[in-house]
Amino acid sequence: MSVAITPVMLGQVVVSGILAGSLYALVALGLALIFGVMRVINIAHGPLLMLGAYTTYFLTTGLGLNPFLTLPVSMTLMFLVGALLQRTLVFRVVDAPELSSLLLTFGISIALVNLAQLLFTSDLRAVEYITGAWVVGPLAFSKSRVIAFGFAAAVTALAFLFLQKTRLGKAIRATSQSREVAMVCGIDVQRVHLITFGLASALAAAGGSLLAVIVAIQPEMGQVWTFKSFLVIVLGGAGNYPGALLGGLLLGLVEQLASLFLTTQLSEVVAYVLLVLVLLVRPTGLLGGRQV
Amino acid sequence: MSPAVAVRHPLSLRVGVAAGLAVLVAALALYPLVGSGYGVRSTLQVFAWIALAGSWNLISGLTGYVSFGHVAFFGIGAYTGAILITQHDWPWPLAAPAGGLAGAALALLIGWPCLRLKGPYFAIAMLGLNEVLRALVSYFEGLTGGGSGLSLPTLDATRPIYYAMGLLAALVVAVTYLIVTSRFGLRLMTIREDEVAAEAMGIDTFRHKLYAFLLSAVGPGVAGALTARDQGYIEPISVFPLATTVTMIVMVLFGGKGTVWGPVLGAVVLFVAQEMVWARYPYVHPMLFGAIIVAVVLVMPRGVLGLLQTRYRLPRTI
Amino acid sequence: MTRRGLSALIAVAVVMAATVPADAQGPIRIGASLSLTGTYAKLGKNQHEGYKLCEKDLNARGGLLGRKVEFVVYDDQSTPATAVRLYEKLITEDKVDAVMGPYSSPVTEAVANVTEKYRKVLVAPLAATTSIFKKGRKYIFMVISPAEVYLEGLVDMAAKRGLKTVAIVNEDTLFSKAAASGAEELAKKKGMQVVFKEAYPKGNTDFSALLTKVRAANPDVLAAATYFDDAVALTRQMRELNVNPKMYGVTVGGDLPEFYETLKQNAEYVYGATQWEPTLPFPGNQEWFETYKKEFGREPSYHSAAGYAGCLIYAEAVKRAGTLDADKVRDQLLKLEMRTIFGDYKVDQDGFQVAHKMVTFQWQKEKKVIVWPEELAAGKAIFPTPPWNQR
Repeated sequence: MSVAITPVMLGQVVVSGILAGSLYALVALGLALIFGVMRVINIAHGPLLMLGAYTTYFLTTGLGLNPFLTLPVSMTLMFLVGALLQRTLVFRVVDAPELSSLLLTFGISIALVNLAQLLFTSDLRAVEYITGAWVVGPLAFSKSRVIAFGFAAAVTALAFLFLQKTRLGKAIRATSQSREVAMVCGIDVQRVHLITFGLASALAAAGGSLLAVIVAIQPEMGQVWTFKSFLVIVLGGAGNYPGALLGGLLLGLVEQLASLFLTTQLSEVVAYVLLVLVLLVRPTGLLGGRQV
Repeated sequence: MSPAVAVRHPLSLRVGVAAGLAVLVAALALYPLVGSGYGVRSTLQVFAWIALAGSWNLISGLTGYVSFGHVAFFGIGAYTGAILITQHDWPWPLAAPAGGLAGAALALLIGWPCLRLKGPYFAIAMLGLNEVLRALVSYFEGLTGGGSGLSLPTLDATRPIYYAMGLLAALVVAVTYLIVTSRFGLRLMTIREDEVAAEAMGIDTFRHKLYAFLLSAVGPGVAGALTARDQGYIEPISVFPLATTVTMIVMVLFGGKGTVWGPVLGAVVLFVAQEMVWARYPYVHPMLFGAIIVAVVLVMPRGVLGLLQTRYRLPRTI
Repeated sequence: MTRRGLSALIAVAVVMAATVPADAQGPIRIGASLSLTGTYAKLGKNQHEGYKLCEKDLNARGGLLGRKVEFVVYDDQSTPATAVRLYEKLITEDKVDAVMGPYSSPVTEAVANVTEKYRKVLVAPLAATTSIFKKGRKYIFMVISPAEVYLEGLVDMAAKRGLKTVAIVNEDTLFSKAAASGAEELAKKKGMQVVFKEAYPKGNTDFSALLTKVRAANPDVLAAATYFDDAVALTRQMRELNVNPKMYGVTVGGDLPEFYETLKQNAEYVYGATQWEPTLPFPGNQEWFETYKKEFGREPSYHSAAGYAGCLIYAEAVKRAGTLDADKVRDQLLKLEMRTIFGDYKVDQDGFQVAHKMVTFQWQKEKKVIVWPEELAAGKAIFPTPPWNQR
């Protein structure tokens, strides 16, 4: 009861994979930043994305704003939340063994998800903004996903520009290369940590806001994103920021192709097997990165 | 016990502890004869939590490698047990150890690639594991019944399973004690404190981590098979919930990670609290779990038992 | 208040507390665990409200067997293991007089082992899986229609219109799987060809690849066994990928007001199936709908109605048996034929529901119009569905 796969179907699925991959890249970049700078895997990264999605939902349904225009608001808000988390909780475990930071952010993640459940209930919400598709030849381009792709690309590009060109961005990169040397050079490492955590949370929020127009919003939507973001980082190479872009697109494509050639049920399994294989064969990521 | 870690406590203390334990075991063994159905089932559940939390402690408490997906071993044990019972007519006392073996086999499959690396790779690989297994179990429906789940033949075996689960919990505690008081355990804790130093000392860290991980997967596997038999029905969603992992972690952290009795203390206290108090405030308690994790990590990283150990100078092997 | 006054008051209260139960026999206590938190929280809450309203109505009519009725409800966090323990507690510690079913099939399946062990009648108003009732259990009774018939209306209408091919997609969970296999069997029986069938995981959000395959299979009918979030995502992406079968129907979720609110005009012409609608012509249905809204400040779902009806059905059987004795109540439940606000009740010798009918509706101009079965239909289906850009 299956169907033969034609080149057009393949093309359609590649389009979907690239559109989905852009969001993976955007969100994973945030996780990669924190990991690179502080050696902390923020398990609460996904739940922060969820909060971003809710911000967009409430601004759109409450104030009637265009969902894409809520992006700066949700990013600013989550920047503050992230910085607050760093300032009050996470900074205490940055130099502790990994166990502490993993468990701490895990605890934060559980608390955030359940807080959302308490405040927003577990009802599914959706922002219905643009439906339909642009049709180019035999291929359909979902309008909402294409626009989300555009914004994701823009935000990611801005983040890179910031890292490359500004003093602060350079300080972040320097800290991620060597904290000691950065300190010697007079960089205020605490401040860099604060900003990194805020920036990373803002990137997660951007992902959430863009997702809000694509999928249903609910408190548990974020958790899988922590895992997927990490998968992207592993594919691209930990500590290698441009690697996150490649990893994101790759994950998007792999998932969609697995759904096409096998079944949607197995797309997550295929992604997981990929993670284990990469860890086994080339733990520094496909592009190569710093060994951790 | 190895002389390196033998701490001589006064004889009277040791006799007292042994006598206390004997009375406790006797009381628990007799309880099903007098207890209500609910009491027996709740105690059975406490045993299960002790086995689960104690097992998590073996890998994460001792080596510091955080397993965010330990429920995967519980689930794989449940399915192994249920499949052997329904499709191969195994008696459950044989199917239960088989569930433990299945847990260990899965641990080997994941641990082999992921424990070679340092850092959080292992933690994250475990984070996705329960979802992946849920998908696999749903997909291979010829074997597992897929989303329809597996129904076991009706059998009222709550009392025998009570004893089996009690034995399992006791074994997990005993194994933890043996490890904590052995060289093997010391090496594991060295890995936790400083893996590079451990390697420099000539410890084959990969092998040690892998052994600890395999051991930690057996208990949940057996507990899963026993639970499947007791409940009589399993399906993918109910045997792979993230919440079970969260509860294991909270119990160990609260009681005191890396200790012998910490997970037991955590399991008993949190289970009782959950049944008595939090059941009335259903929406608050999962959030409280998150808060407990944060608070324990920041304020008392060694848990309640760790606090008592420091204050009353209790031996480390408690 | 003075101290003496207070102690006098306490003394009076104690005396009253001691004498009241001696007067009557005390209330009939009915125990249940419900999914008030966790995965099924929302639906479990609706069922709970159904029970509450039933308790109120029974007591307003003088109770049951001359005694007041009182529900004892716990939260099972949507997990079978917790529910099993809670039913043990209800039966062995709280010593309730009777029990009612929990929410969802997996939980009911696990709980049934306990209630059978203690020979308690279990009217399970929200278990739709056939296998639960076909395992030789004696005391369990079904209220709603089984999952297998959810897509019956869609397939039946399609066959009558002479459509030939059907594609079936479903979430890979208990209920949806049963609904999909029911649809497949029926379609084959009606001489239709199943050209595509595939499952997707719970929580899936991207259906592009799946729908690309559906589009290639080009079926006349797309039958989707869904819950709410996947029903919405699937419909959205069908529009985006321009998958436009002549008929497209979903199972659960399509009947919620949120389905239309979310999808707006894209929900138009979508078929859905439901166990119950407030507009159905059952005695007292309209009034019950209004009472419920007044009582809880929101509209009931079929879970509320099924919970309410299940409780009434149990009460009716007790009334006829004149006792709470499990075997006598069981005999009555096996014989009983009853029409409630939820529709008809009648079970076979296994306690399996045979009388209750599912209805199929189509979204037309923001309203759910019941189009199947003919005897309950309120309007005609608009066929075939127009292209997406004309909705």
